[in-house]
Amino acid sequence: MHDLYALRSAAVAFPRVRHWHRREARFVTLVAVTALVIGLQLSAGLQLASREGTGWRAVDTAAIHRRIETGDLRDREADWYHPATAVERKQVVERP
Amino acid sequence: MTAVACELCPRRCVIPEGGAGDCRIRVNLGGKLRATTYGRPSAIHIDPMEKKPLFHFHPGTSVFSIATAGCNLHCLNCQNWQLSQRGGEEMEQIYRADPPEVVKAAKEQGCKSLAYTYSDPVVFYEYVYDTSAIARREGLNNTYHTAGYINPKPLRRLCGLLDASNTDLKAFDDGFYRRVTGATLQPVLDALVTLREEGVWLEVTNLVIPTLNDDLAMIRRMASWMRDELGPDTPLHLSRFQPQYRMRNLPPTPAEALDRARREALDAGLRYVYIGNVPGHEANSTYCPTDGTLLIRRVGFMVVENKLTADGRCPTCNQKIPGVWK
Repeated sequence: MHDLYALRSAAVAFPRVRHWHRREARFVTLVAVTALVIGLQLSAGLQLASREGTGWRAVDTAAIHRRIETGDLRDREADWYHPATAVERKQVVERP
Repeated sequence: MTAVACELCPRRCVIPEGGAGDCRIRVNLGGKLRATTYGRPSAIHIDPMEKKPLFHFHPGTSVFSIATAGCNLHCLNCQNWQLSQRGGEEMEQIYRADPPEVVKAAKEQGCKSLAYTYSDPVVFYEYVYDTSAIARREGLNNTYHTAGYINPKPLRRLCGLLDASNTDLKAFDDGFYRRVTGATLQPVLDALVTLREEGVWLEVTNLVIPTLNDDLAMIRRMASWMRDELGPDTPLHLSRFQPQYRMRNLPPTPAEALDRARREALDAGLRYVYIGNVPGHEANSTYCPTDGTLLIRRVGFMVVENKLTADGRCPTCNQKIPGVWK
């Protein structure tokens, strides 16, 4: 009891300042969301290039075939490639 | 599913059937890798040689320039992104120009040289190779503007047909390459050394981007490496950056920053250091490294005056100026 009394006295001596309002919560949320958006934007920009060049790309094969048929593109066999080995095939990452 | 492994560039893409390499234009159709833009350029122009930029190679002449879609780099500041960051099937404009037709058109237009440029000729390698072979037989020069991201074997095979190359050295920092271009530095350095070893006339371009690669210590390291590995007579073009594509948040390079970078490269021992994309700048021109005589005065891409002797010497001190002058 004695301790509780001391605590109450201290609380009176140093009254608790009530500073947390809903509007401040909204402000803090706004700051946090803004920081998050800026952070995502910066990291997306910086990592854009490094995310590319990671193997292969899904392409519109039907469009490629169509344009080969019309003569806009060619199906000339390329130099400098080989059928992928079993080890290499394991590197192929599925793409959506 | 028959996947294929591309051996052309250091990415070594393993491509499943129906997929494309990172470059977008080398496509696995039916278990075979296809060069889909072979003979199908999307850009054909006649440019001055100085636009490549090649300043020590047939100055003031016209060059028949071609490019197809696709690229194996993905620079955030790419100036040709509408061409380089698209696949062939996405292009509105495609010309039908097989190798013999390109050479014929170049000759008809009075061009003594061809340039494989704009995007990166590495990715339309077969088209470059076959066109170069015909051009060589017909007495035309083959020039190449590339980022140099190619494996040694294909490059050595192509070098036999190349007369000149302007190769980008985008920064002397692997982190920059990874962040800004999606590539890596070492293969580019290897390609530069290979081009030099194979006797291809070589000039180097470094685009100076504020805050990203304009550090003078890095410029000095790059110039020192060039001096030691490529020779002090290798021209270096320090080009001004303009904000574009995915890098619009930085300002154009201040002329003073380019001047400082040029001084640094000259101090490191390079003899021919130019400033590009600043028309009218005195460092657009060629000076004799011995006595400072103005040898070739340029304004932008235009050669206004050429005082070199017929055999490529300084008219004042008779110093031989390295290059291919005629």
